[in-house]
Amino acid sequence: MDPQLFFWIAARATGLAAYVALCIAVLSGIALRTSVLDWLAKNRAMRALHDWTTWLWIPLGAFHVLALLLDKTAQIALVDVLVPFRVDYGPLAIGLGTLSLDLLAIITITSWLRRRMNDELWRWIHRTSYVMFVALFLHAFLSGTDFNAPLVSALSWSTAGGIALLGVSRMVLGRLPE
Amino acid sequence: MPAWGLKLGSLLTTVLVLAGSYGYASAHIKNPDAPLQPPVADKPPPAAAPAAATPTPIASLVGTRRGNPPRSSATPAPILNLQPGVQATALPAVTFTHVS
Repeated sequence: MDPQLFFWIAARATGLAAYVALCIAVLSGIALRTSVLDWLAKNRAMRALHDWTTWLWIPLGAFHVLALLLDKTAQIALVDVLVPFRVDYGPLAIGLGTLSLDLLAIITITSWLRRRMNDELWRWIHRTSYVMFVALFLHAFLSGTDFNAPLVSALSWSTAGGIALLGVSRMVLGRLPE
Repeated sequence: MPAWGLKLGSLLTTVLVLAGSYGYASAHIKNPDAPLQPPVADKPPPAAAPAAATPTPIASLVGTRRGNPPRSSATPAPILNLQPGVQATALPAVTFTHVS
């Protein structure tokens, strides 16, 4: 297979898989502070899942970015991975992906440094996960080549809708009742 | 459900999506309805066009035997169409046209 074709296909596939892994990460994170998934597992198991998902989305997200860097058609430069809204042909759509990547890096690194950090500061940084997920979803919606495929669209909208419902409920109602 | 069950479930879900989306993307390499359409890289300048074959009038082939000058003929001299890359030469012809 032509390497350029492989990079293009792999970028799309890993982007979708990373999105799903991040959905699980956000959902398990919300579940830690609510009781909506108490029927499925205890908090300790849910916490283990939340930490574990990091090792799912990091390689997938890294490969998604790497494949786009190597794909000549995408025309993504290394600086575009760090600085959002710079790509000529889709500044908003691709910039939102860069923004979500930047936020993910900050959230993940501060989580690894949590014991050395002020707890309140860490909590506020971790709450930007909601902003990150909104940016990620809009990135997928505005730039996803396969987003208009019925199955992909149904999967993406349903997971995003579920997470949005839980997230808003969590912010408005606090710890959700069983 | 134990933690390992949740981890295994998340791993299988992610791998399933990865394999499925790889298969889908392989089967649908181009999507004309995709929201982003990166501009195609500038085309290289076209290579120098091959010289068009031009008809080259040649001297009459009649009466060239033994160095005689060509005789006038009622019909005009034939036109030789040279293919690109074929060049006329100033060397003497190696064949004769016999006229009886």
